[in-house]
Amino acid sequence: MTHSKTSSIDLATRWLVLGLLALYTVYNVGPIFWLLLSSFKGRMDFFTMPPKLFFTPDLSGYQAVFGVGAAKDSASAVGVFDSLVNSVIVSVAGTSLAVFFGTLAGYVCSRFNFIGKGDFMFFVLSTRMLPPVAVLVFYHLMFARLGLADTRTGLVLVSIFANVGLATWIMKGFFDGVPKEVEQIAIVNGYTRMYAFLKLVLPMVKGGIAATAGFCFIFAWNEFAFASILTTTQAKTLPVKISAASGATGIEWTQICAAGVVLIIPVLIFFYLIRKHLLMGMTFGVLGRR
Amino acid sequence: MAEITLKNLSVRFGAFNAVDDVSLTVKNGEFVVYLGPSGCGKTTTLRCIAGLVKASSGDVLFDGVRVNELSASERNIAMVFQFVSLYPHLSIKENIVFPLKARGVAKAQIARKLDWVTEIFKLGDELARYPSALPPGARQKVALARAVIREPAVLLLDEPLSAIDEQFREEMRWELGHLQRQLGVTTIYVTHDQREAMSLADRIVLMNNSRIVQVSEPDRMFFEPIDVFAGQFIGSPSMNLIDLAPVEGGLKLGDGDVTLTALRDRLPAWALSSKRPLKLGVRPLNVHLTDDADGVAIPVDDVFSVGRERFFSFRIGDTIHQGVDKRRSPSSSGGSVHFDPAGLLFFDAATGRRVDAEVAA
Amino acid sequence: MAGTANSLNPESQAAAHAARQTELRKRSSGRLMIFGFLSPTLAILLFMVAYPIFSLIYYSFFNFSALRQATMKPVGFNNYKFLLSDPDLWERFIFTGKFVFICVTLQMLIGIFVGYQMQKNFRGRDVIFTLLMMPMMLSPVVVGFLWRYMLNSEWGVINFLVSSAGFAKVDWLGQTNPALWAAAAADTWMWTPFIVLLATAAFRGIPETIYEAAEVDGASPAYRFFRITLPMSAPVLFIALILRLIDSFKQYDLFVALTGGGPGSSTETVSFSVAKTAFSYFYTGEASALAVILLVIIIGLSMILVRHLTKMGEKY
Repeated sequence: MTHSKTSSIDLATRWLVLGLLALYTVYNVGPIFWLLLSSFKGRMDFFTMPPKLFFTPDLSGYQAVFGVGAAKDSASAVGVFDSLVNSVIVSVAGTSLAVFFGTLAGYVCSRFNFIGKGDFMFFVLSTRMLPPVAVLVFYHLMFARLGLADTRTGLVLVSIFANVGLATWIMKGFFDGVPKEVEQIAIVNGYTRMYAFLKLVLPMVKGGIAATAGFCFIFAWNEFAFASILTTTQAKTLPVKISAASGATGIEWTQICAAGVVLIIPVLIFFYLIRKHLLMGMTFGVLGRR
Repeated sequence: MAEITLKNLSVRFGAFNAVDDVSLTVKNGEFVVYLGPSGCGKTTTLRCIAGLVKASSGDVLFDGVRVNELSASERNIAMVFQFVSLYPHLSIKENIVFPLKARGVAKAQIARKLDWVTEIFKLGDELARYPSALPPGARQKVALARAVIREPAVLLLDEPLSAIDEQFREEMRWELGHLQRQLGVTTIYVTHDQREAMSLADRIVLMNNSRIVQVSEPDRMFFEPIDVFAGQFIGSPSMNLIDLAPVEGGLKLGDGDVTLTALRDRLPAWALSSKRPLKLGVRPLNVHLTDDADGVAIPVDDVFSVGRERFFSFRIGDTIHQGVDKRRSPSSSGGSVHFDPAGLLFFDAATGRRVDAEVAA
Repeated sequence: MAGTANSLNPESQAAAHAARQTELRKRSSGRLMIFGFLSPTLAILLFMVAYPIFSLIYYSFFNFSALRQATMKPVGFNNYKFLLSDPDLWERFIFTGKFVFICVTLQMLIGIFVGYQMQKNFRGRDVIFTLLMMPMMLSPVVVGFLWRYMLNSEWGVINFLVSSAGFAKVDWLGQTNPALWAAAAADTWMWTPFIVLLATAAFRGIPETIYEAAEVDGASPAYRFFRITLPMSAPVLFIALILRLIDSFKQYDLFVALTGGGPGSSTETVSFSVAKTAFSYFYTGEASALAVILLVIIIGLSMILVRHLTKMGEKY
């Protein structure tokens, strides 16, 4: 008797959980679906009420983003493809360097005790917490003096700065997961610490490096605040360019949606490839001691 | 306290039969040890009794009541796991009282029970500490205290001592046996260590390849193994196994040129006249060094001594066998070996099952 | 390790000496490694942080505009006095606080719930998991525009759904409170996946035997969740909380695209105000003072939180 009662409660709970999950999935995936759908809507279909689910696809948004076809010469499309190229260069270079530096620093933080380690770790993390607008107040002055204003180099520098702290922390977590014996054995066998790091430890955290890169790439690729204020014409990235797509002709919605889709695709592929490592690295080594 | 019955229990993981048609009754208050090599199905059987694994077919009964559908928390059991499973975020005290709190037991009673187990396990000094501060042996003690505090009907132990240092393990083993007799709780213990099994069990359940090989008291398991596997798994060093071939006037040993003529008058008649091919099982303890004429003229390879015991090896054909001589009489410098006739076991060469006078007849 | 092993051998003084030499060399090579490996990170962070922060503090005591750099007048604490007595700024803080509270609460609750479901193994989990992560992969600006478009009172899909359900259309972005909730919905939409990711990772880090032990101990699923799962993953969840707290506190991009700070300036966060003061009005001195206030709050907040986190980690 009691038994059947508990199982009916269990069943109700399960349905409730499934219902809530379904609700969340709609909330989560719905806007993405809408973004994808709208990126194919031409000016006419865009504002129709009730919204159309079926319509003749209009590729002008994508043409503008990739600088091809008929739409590439429209006023709003000028420079959009250049900004995509800027985005690729800045985020790839920024991510690579941030991960490179972060890997080195993360390794030292995982393996060595040095004076001021705690402060260093906190300082590194705190740079991740700085509000971009606060440091930005003087970045444009500093960048102007250094000749970095409106250059990709300047944005790469900012991108490293914005991500190296996170990279250090995540990589430290991955290094914590590698037993110290790995280096000890190598050193006992007469190899240098550097050799042990390069040839033994690094290959063991390959997945971690990929995960860190994935995370940094998301932030670098989508970064807006820095890029919007430090660029004026030449070095504009895609997120900045599309935010300016609200010109004299009104907001270019189709173009924005298409750019959104284009922006998400590389991240999506990247993310799917590294999903397993991402899950492991995201505990920051906090649970590593178990 | 409870009596546990397994009726034709099978557990399948996909195509793999982890437990295959196991039947057994564990009596109230009994200490039963499941013994076998790793992967033999002993742990899966235990987890099935616990309710952590579902039976694919067959039944688990507690005091005659079928419990297949009950979850682990609904069966009145407690379990200690192989690898430490203390809650790292709770103090030792909170760990121990966890099962009572989870069941909403009154505070006064929790305090009383805590005093009781603290006393038994002498954990008074550790209560405020966290698991990470204790050595593995002490952690298992806490796990045991946590299991016992609820006074469960059945205590399930899954290789509880295997992750502990050798030295501490001995000590825990004695304590565990003492504790079980004191509490009288029905206990099922899983191990791959035959010495643990021999010293703790009222009955041993020997498993191999997902099936039960033999169920019996430790002594009988040792002296009357049901087959070659049981004979060799129990006892250390392991039982020697030698092929026998009938020849004129005796039995030829292995592929060498030694015959058992010297023992002829002490061998059972049925073995000498057996039609089926046999294997001889002889435990190292039953092989001695000798100079006497009644020895078997097998050259001894290598000898080393530990205290009064002499361990040695000898060769029949290409196979190396072992012996342990406990008598160490200076006279027996050891040119040849002697088999203790009372310790000879005979196995059917084809089936591996032990044969004795009745079977042979 | 090798050094101590060798020096135990009394017969080889020479070997012991050699080992000591190696030990010394190793230690100095270790120091070299620490220095070499840390310096790029340290250099870039100091370079990028030190200059702007010292400038902020310095110029916050001046009446100064980046447009007219020649005219610079020291004003002492006047910028601070002015800001702190400005009811508008308090409005910004209250709005930011409300926004942070709503966002973090929703994101943590939903994120932990979904993460708990995602730790289970089921078919197609990886694909579903990746799909659920998608909002986080979008640029905040795109998210802002997307929600602005969906929330449009005339031709937005949300009002379409609202009116087909029989309710009156809502002017989401034209009124302060609906705009706050709309912004929170967009931020929650974007960042809940992040909590899901961290929570799933934390939950999966708990060994299976712990759950089995708890089940055998008679803990109900709810008891297990609250007494085992949550406390054991607390450090990671706390990191997630810190990151979201700080990130939503400094939120800027989303509002640029979603509300533009409007209606009026009612949906301006503190960050938004800094940007507006600095880059629209070019009151650089005043913006500096505001940025310093923002920095003090954020660094103070994160110091307290991180200290709490360290304490949490020490326990076990």
